[in-house]
Amino acid sequence: MRVASWDIGKLALRPRLVWIMALSSLKVRLHRTFLTMLTIVTSTAFMMYLFTMPRSGDLTERQSWMLMLVLSLLVCAAGVLNTMLMSVTQRYREIGTMKCLGALDSFVLLAVLTESALLGLAGALAGVGIGLVISILLGLGEHGLAFAQHLRLDGLLWKVPLVFAVGMALTTLGAAVPAAIAARMPPMDAMRGEK
Amino acid sequence: MTAPAVDWLADLQDQAEHTVMARGVSKIYHMGDEEIPALDGVDVTIRTGEYISIMGPSGSGKTTLFNVIGALIKPTEGSVFIDEIDVAQLDANELAWLRCRKIGYIFQAYNIVKVMTALENVTLPMLFAGVPADEAQDRAVEILDRVGLGDRILHTPKELSGGQQQRVAIARAFANRPAIILADEPTANLDLKTGEDIIHLMKEMNAERGVTVVCATHDHKMLDISDRIVWMEDGQIKKIADRDEVKIEISQMSEH
Ligand SMILES: Nc1ncnc2c1ncn2[C@@H]1O[C@H](COP(=O)(O)OP(=O)(O)O)[C@@H](O)[C@H]1O
Ligand SMILES: [Mg+2]
Repeated sequence: MRVASWDIGKLALRPRLVWIMALSSLKVRLHRTFLTMLTIVTSTAFMMYLFTMPRSGDLTERQSWMLMLVLSLLVCAAGVLNTMLMSVTQRYREIGTMKCLGALDSFVLLAVLTESALLGLAGALAGVGIGLVISILLGLGEHGLAFAQHLRLDGLLWKVPLVFAVGMALTTLGAAVPAAIAARMPPMDAMRGEK
Repeated sequence: MTAPAVDWLADLQDQAEHTVMARGVSKIYHMGDEEIPALDGVDVTIRTGEYISIMGPSGSGKTTLFNVIGALIKPTEGSVFIDEIDVAQLDANELAWLRCRKIGYIFQAYNIVKVMTALENVTLPMLFAGVPADEAQDRAVEILDRVGLGDRILHTPKELSGGQQQRVAIARAFANRPAIILADEPTANLDLKTGEDIIHLMKEMNAERGVTVVCATHDHKMLDISDRIVWMEDGQIKKIADRDEVKIEISQMSEH
């Protein structure tokens, strides 16, 4: 039997609140935030450097570095996964409480993904810049002021967005599982008495 | 164990009179191969606007009953009706709506969102319900003032005592004008005096706003403000007493 005494409506997603949750979570774990960002910066900078490094270096060396690049990207994704898992498990109670107050699963999902996207954004932007700067400095060292023609600067218009996109994709990949765990967590975990 | 059909009819006749009906509710937890019965055939009807206390030793099933009534866990058997609606029929989004609009939760450990001020905590349920931000803020200020925190609305939980945090939780639970407040041992972490203040505040808000309050407690002193008292033991309801009976019992207890 279902009496239509309720007018069951939709709950609101509240994008501004998503934003506040993501920012505050980064702030609360500032140390981790920086460390994780550092791994993103390192791996994207490495990738950018390999894309633009001076042509003088011998090719086999560059190829073996490509392998290292793949490794460093994997390490980076694992780092994000670990960080976001911690961020989520440390906030079980908070997330459960928010759900008791009416937070939708999609709200929680978005909050976690926004948090990692901010990490990825800052890390990948810095990484792209730092990678370019390293190439330029090395070029300057080897070739002096005429460095530009020795760098692999062709196709910068796709190289920069590609490296940036890889950085963002890695962080999102790493955050996907923790975000799903948080979104599907039952709210009753908040009811538990322990601190 | 389900209630006989006749009870059903009687219940339906005064449906405006009650907010929650639990019928034949059982809950068995599974831990590995072990089965832990937490609720065993609980029937209870909670009347609209009443203040009802649930008493019982630790492990008697109070929290489990709250979780079932509050639509936080599904019973193994039996049904819960809130405002005549069978909670088991609701999908995930409707359940979220139910938790947001119809139920206010008050926890033993306050569960104030740490990174937010008292004001932000109280606006949360209203924001999720779709209330415009400035209106939510005005209402939050009003209700925080009502619970006695008018001068602390911008404090974070770190800057508030346990009693003050529980006041924030009360304001937050009442914010969406729910049909029912579920308070699971809200005073267990507080000293005696503060606990009494909290219970009295809940009782006042219950009377003022006509919101049904269900409160699990250990404290016998709180019984005389309750309209009814439910005693639980081993996952079953041993007794439900009305206010008058309670008064008599309390006076008998104090004679000993
Ligand atoms: N999540 C759970 N998993 C397994 N057993 C549980 C769980 N929650 C409660 N129980 C058990 O169910 C019984 C009732 O517990 P509870 O409802 O918490 O009682 P109370 O709140 O009255 O102390 C206890 O035996 C307890 O150990
Ligand atoms: Mg309990």
